[in-house]
Amino acid sequence: MKLLYKTTLNFFPAMTFILAVAGLSLYLLLRQEVTDEINEQLELQVELIEEELAAGRSINFPLASVSEMPFSSAASKRLGDTLIYDRLQDKKEGYYYLTITKKINQRNYHIMVMTSYIGWERYYKTIFISFLAVAFGITLMGVLLNYYSNHNLWKPFFLNLENLKQFSVSSSQPLQWHDSSVTEFKELQQSLKELTERSRREYLALREFTENASHEIQTPLGIIQSKLDRMSQLEVSEEMARYIVQAKSGVERLTKMNKNLLLLAKLDNKAFVEKQPIELKELLRKHLEQMDDLFIARKITLVIDMTSLTVFANQYLCEVLLSNLLSNALRYSFSPSEVSIVLTSHQLIITNPGELLDFPEQGLFDRFTKGWSHTQGTGLGLAIVRQICVLNGWTISYSYQKGCHSFKVSFP
Amino acid sequence: MKVLLIEDEPMLLDEMDTYLTEQGYRCEKATTFGVGEDKIVLYEYDVIILDITLPGGNGLQLLQLLKKLQKEAGVLIVSAKDSLTDKLAGLNLGADDYMTKPFHLEELNARVNALVRRKSFKGSPQIVVDDLIIDPIAKTVSCNGTFIALTRKEFELLLYFIINKNRVVSKQSIAEHLWGDHYDSVDNFDTVYVHTMNLRKKIIAHAGIDYIKTVYGMGYKFTSM
Repeated sequence: MKLLYKTTLNFFPAMTFILAVAGLSLYLLLRQEVTDEINEQLELQVELIEEELAAGRSINFPLASVSEMPFSSAASKRLGDTLIYDRLQDKKEGYYYLTITKKINQRNYHIMVMTSYIGWERYYKTIFISFLAVAFGITLMGVLLNYYSNHNLWKPFFLNLENLKQFSVSSSQPLQWHDSSVTEFKELQQSLKELTERSRREYLALREFTENASHEIQTPLGIIQSKLDRMSQLEVSEEMARYIVQAKSGVERLTKMNKNLLLLAKLDNKAFVEKQPIELKELLRKHLEQMDDLFIARKITLVIDMTSLTVFANQYLCEVLLSNLLSNALRYSFSPSEVSIVLTSHQLIITNPGELLDFPEQGLFDRFTKGWSHTQGTGLGLAIVRQICVLNGWTISYSYQKGCHSFKVSFP
Repeated sequence: MKVLLIEDEPMLLDEMDTYLTEQGYRCEKATTFGVGEDKIVLYEYDVIILDITLPGGNGLQLLQLLKKLQKEAGVLIVSAKDSLTDKLAGLNLGADDYMTKPFHLEELNARVNALVRRKSFKGSPQIVVDDLIIDPIAKTVSCNGTFIALTRKEFELLLYFIINKNRVVSKQSIAEHLWGDHYDSVDNFDTVYVHTMNLRKKIIAHAGIDYIKTVYGMGYKFTSM
């Protein structure tokens, strides 16, 4: 739930409680006050009537009745309420009355004074309605105020949040922060700023490390390789020769892997900036020519259908892309089989029959993903392909249908 | 043929020195920028093999020096950095070729050989092995006056063997030479075998001599009398 809704929702019960308590106490206090006042008024009226009676004048008060009692009775005073029919409204209305039995000038009188009151239900209703109106008004205003002021207050926060969602350590663009006058937000912004800068710095250091490490490994590898070459020049036993060959193939794999890692590091570092128009058909033909005998040796027939397509990209990366995809097809095709290479005006599709992947398909383009049956590869070829595609804004997709692997590169 | 090796890694330097000396080059060595600089200024070389990262300076500066002194030497850069910018900078500064470590010595030798052919002879030097005459420019091989029909790959293979004659050339080295290092050479060993056998048969058929020997597991060796 959004913070804005949450605060508004919390605001509701609090408002309801306060207003209910206020309404109830208002009702009770008013009732108390009004009752006291009515009593006072009724008593005053009785007093006035008594004075009149004492003076011997006739009584002509509204809503008052005086009757002379034939017998003497103890003086009494009673307060109560009753319903009296109102002709005008054609219904019964509530009245307060005060009856007094008193001896005035040696005569017994029974005096009753009355006054009407608005029914308490009505008081209650009026108060309830007006409070409901107040509650509604306050809530509406509260919500609006809350919403708009909060909206403004939180705006830098949300913008920064959006910013943070876009953040990537590999992006070279610095984040644009939105300033806020709220201290907490300022602190948050400052911490985020430091955090993102630090992670970017560390990422860069790591990238640089990868590249440097790969470079540093090249020379010792060169030494091992040249020494192994030298050893193979000597007269050695068959057993020794086998060990040398095995060591060489290890060095070979390490060399290849190191080169590929270095290439990936460079792709991450966006080291390939020089771009030029490249005729893919030509480049593809060159590679196919180069690999011709390799396909023949594996009894693979190539079905080629190419149209002219020019892309604007780095020459070297295009070559790597093509050779990686082609050597992939070469390596993982059945022998004999038929490999199809289709280049349309916006797509390159390489389809080769081969065994189903023995690992999850979504890991195909990840680094170091290899099937258990093919441990010779570096597991970096397709990761490089994907990286090159990403760098150029191309999309690569893979599918396996009817026993065929199919790689599709789409050029926008 | 005088070759100057400027390389700070002594073990690699020794290996290059030994092999190129075996191939008939006169090699001199420099392990630092300063020594390299002195030698370049004082002497003339046919080929300079130059490492870029050197103690005391950058190899590219030596290239500039060579250019300034208008030296004729062919320059082959050997770098641990597989960097395109370095490569372009090097070639722009007048280097003739660029290799990335690690490399096969046979490949280095082939490159030096190609460089020497390009630089010093200008024309079309023919390589003669007994009755075989190889023309690297026209890409032809003849034996006693008759041409041997070789495919492009077979020709490249033969040239590679001859340049590295009397040395065991590994399958890796051949695969990399023939198809570049884009491909995993292990996959291509069978094809190396097929090409080598075809080449061998063709040469035996024409010259009657089996020059190419299989060295168990390791590779092949071209032996001339």
